[in-house]
Amino acid sequence: MRISKLTLITGLVVLLISLTVPAQRTVRTVRQAKSTTAPAMPTNVEPIDTAGLKDLISKPKEKPLLVNFWATYCDPCRDEFPDLVKVDSDFRPKSLDFVTVSLDDVSEIKTTVPQFLAQMKATMPAYLLNVADPEPAINAVDPKWQGDLPATFLYNSKGEIVFKHFGRVNTAELREAIERVVKN
Amino acid sequence: MKKRIVSIVLAALFVITAAVIAGSGRSTSDIPAPPAIGAIIDDFSLPDVNGQEHALKSLKGKNGTVLIFIAVQCPVSNAYNDRMEKLAQDYQAKGVAVVGINANSTEDAAAVKAHAAEKHLTFTILKDSGNKVADKLGASVTPEAYFLDSNNKLVYRGRIDNSRNPDTIESNDLRQAIDSALAGKPVEKPEAKAFGCGIKRVS
Repeated sequence: MRISKLTLITGLVVLLISLTVPAQRTVRTVRQAKSTTAPAMPTNVEPIDTAGLKDLISKPKEKPLLVNFWATYCDPCRDEFPDLVKVDSDFRPKSLDFVTVSLDDVSEIKTTVPQFLAQMKATMPAYLLNVADPEPAINAVDPKWQGDLPATFLYNSKGEIVFKHFGRVNTAELREAIERVVKN
Repeated sequence: MKKRIVSIVLAALFVITAAVIAGSGRSTSDIPAPPAIGAIIDDFSLPDVNGQEHALKSLKGKNGTVLIFIAVQCPVSNAYNDRMEKLAQDYQAKGVAVVGINANSTEDAAAVKAHAAEKHLTFTILKDSGNKVADKLGASVTPEAYFLDSNNKLVYRGRIDNSRNPDTIESNDLRQAIDSALAGKPVEKPEAKAFGCGIKRVS
């Protein structure tokens, strides 16, 4: 009886520890596995200003559009990126446009930003917000957005926001939201 | 008896697992809302990088206090090191105290102390290990500034200025707010969205 109790508790503790291992480790493993397959393609990052950003999100669209705001200095942005690359490869064939907008400094447009995107094998169009004052751009996207990163917005083809998330996105929720708009 | 132990252990496991999942998934939407402009900020107490406790009432300037959430590793916060130090120097003579607060759970007091020495930050820096003050003020990023007048009334909240790059500053929002308040004038722009790295809260 005593031994069986001990076995039971030990088993549960092992299970608990396995559950509490940070998710990041899984992400790193995936990154390492991917990086051995093929050399990374260079990624071109285009500068975009407030007017360009407004145009991008508000113009009539043929397809729903997913926009992820991120930066290389933002840990949760880096952590969620492999999930977003997967979302892109899964949903682009089902009529989803996906662009990323980096809020890194413009001095990094040819260095750390494309390097990270290449490492992630990200092939979605990539922009870098090149403005002296980010506030009008942030307000143009969503007045309720405080500018914290990452921030993810999904627009339907009418240009209406149908899903948004500030902070690391829940991939399952994002995928559900995309499924709803790509079906409509 | 055995059944009872099993159910207790399972219940504990469920609670802990739920807490872990909730903690790891904490998003910025969970950060408490900041107090409204005009609200009085209650006194609080935090240790400095040497472990000595300071209350707001003992640190506040005669004419007001600037609280800035800062970081060791965030490149945006680091781009503001010289500007924050200059702010502290410029306003000391005007009776306004500048106090830094590090609320990142990933940066301990020793790291904050070493960073301040390396970057020549001479103003007091407090360590908000449990995010007590970051939550109270609804701070989400570094750098993010709060200006309290002499009665600890919140007068300004947000960015220091518009640009991470000091060569392209167009709007010195924090300084303008302090100057207006010191001159007894209304602050034209009491809030300007802060940008930077998310505060790494305890989970």
